Amino acid sequence: MLRLGRHAFTDDTTLMMAIVNRTPDSFYDRGATWAEDRAFERVALVVEQGAEIVDIGGIKAAPGAEIDAAEEKSRVVDFVARVRDAFPSLVISVDTWRAEVGDAVCRAGADVLNDAWGGADPELVDVAAAHDVAIICTHTGGATPRTRPYRVEYNDVVASAIADTTAYAARALAAGVARESVVIDPAHDFGKNTFHSLELTRRLAEMVDTGWPVLVSLSNKDFVGETLDKPVGERLLGTLAATAVCATAGARIYRVHEVVETRQVVDMAWAIAGRRLPARAIRGLQ
Amino acid sequence: MLVPGALALLPEYAGQQDPLAELRAACHAAVAWLCEPGETVAVHCEHQSLRLARHLVGQAGGTLHPIDDRPAPTLVIGNGSARRTEKAPGHLDPRAASFDADLGRALTRPDPAALAAIDGRLARELWADVESLRWLGEEVLSGSERVVVDYDDDPFGVQYWVLRLES
Repeated sequence: MLRLGRHAFTDDTTLMMAIVNRTPDSFYDRGATWAEDRAFERVALVVEQGAEIVDIGGIKAAPGAEIDAAEEKSRVVDFVARVRDAFPSLVISVDTWRAEVGDAVCRAGADVLNDAWGGADPELVDVAAAHDVAIICTHTGGATPRTRPYRVEYNDVVASAIADTTAYAARALAAGVARESVVIDPAHDFGKNTFHSLELTRRLAEMVDTGWPVLVSLSNKDFVGETLDKPVGERLLGTLAATAVCATAGARIYRVHEVVETRQVVDMAWAIAGRRLPARAIRGLQ
Repeated sequence: MLVPGALALLPEYAGQQDPLAELRAACHAAVAWLCEPGETVAVHCEHQSLRLARHLVGQAGGTLHPIDDRPAPTLVIGNGSARRTEKAPGHLDPRAASFDADLGRALTRPDPAALAAIDGRLARELWADVESLRWLGEEVLSGSERVVVDYDDDPFGVQYWVLRLES
């Protein structure tokens, strides 16, 4: 079983985590949901499209103007409360590395702390434990939050991702986070060049074999753009190809911009892998 | 009694939705009527349909009976043409409708002589599984008089019947 705060899912389910940015400058939507009402409309849309989770973020991942904890909270806490109130059955994740922000959003109704920066704030696990919410343990290779990779190399990027995320998971358990509420994420592009992200995709089954549920965040990222020589806005097909590979390997949660397309690709790949029944089969069976 | 040999009735071919829910329910109800738990059932069918027979009888708590002279409840597996529509597995054959109408009359009347006289060659051309249907005629001759029609439809271009023979 996978338990994300108030919500539980059986081990044969895959989950769509829709990205909702409360930022003026994120790379893909460029502030389209910066206004709170626009962000709320985005939540309503992705719920309609079948997303089980929203991942609300108040700071873009790339370098930029410094956003302190007070500003980050002002962007996400009341918004989480509003979404919690409007969508009781929706899983609410918040993309933050700060324990202070994590505590505030959990009080407002968040179910998941998505620590995209791999444990930069050591107290985040304590917050997750205190509120009995889930935590996403990502691999960044030790990168400082909001920095780009520069000449990063690994002896074995997959081994590094497994070692760091499972160590983070162990730290979460030790802090008191429930075993069924810990998820690991290789974090494509974070502290990685394109070759690293391609290798993580190719060898994702090794992460799945750790037994921890795996989240992948592939959507429109630079490793897709560099691989296909496509700018942001033309990376959906490449994203979906990478998604199919990760789904075949057994990834459980997909952090996405495009919910409908990703859901179809994941469902198809899981059926091919023998983990999901066809919706309705009659061809040749009449 | 008669059920069709649709492979979609096998659990290994189940999807999330059941395209043959109504037929499946009729088959299970009819076999449960035929067979008490622990009872053995004589089956007449083509080799491929044995799995279906085993599944349906097993679900009712029974087992398959080796075919010999001992009396036992009889399950027959067969169906009409698989060429009834453009989208049917065998595409449309304009002869299918009248063939199935005649066959349906012979089965439901019931008419052992008509069942014995089915044109096997035409049946093969129309993708109809009729090889075992003569056993229903045998049942009629041995005392069954009334046929109850639980299902009579062609949802995917194949003519299915679920029939119970009562004394």
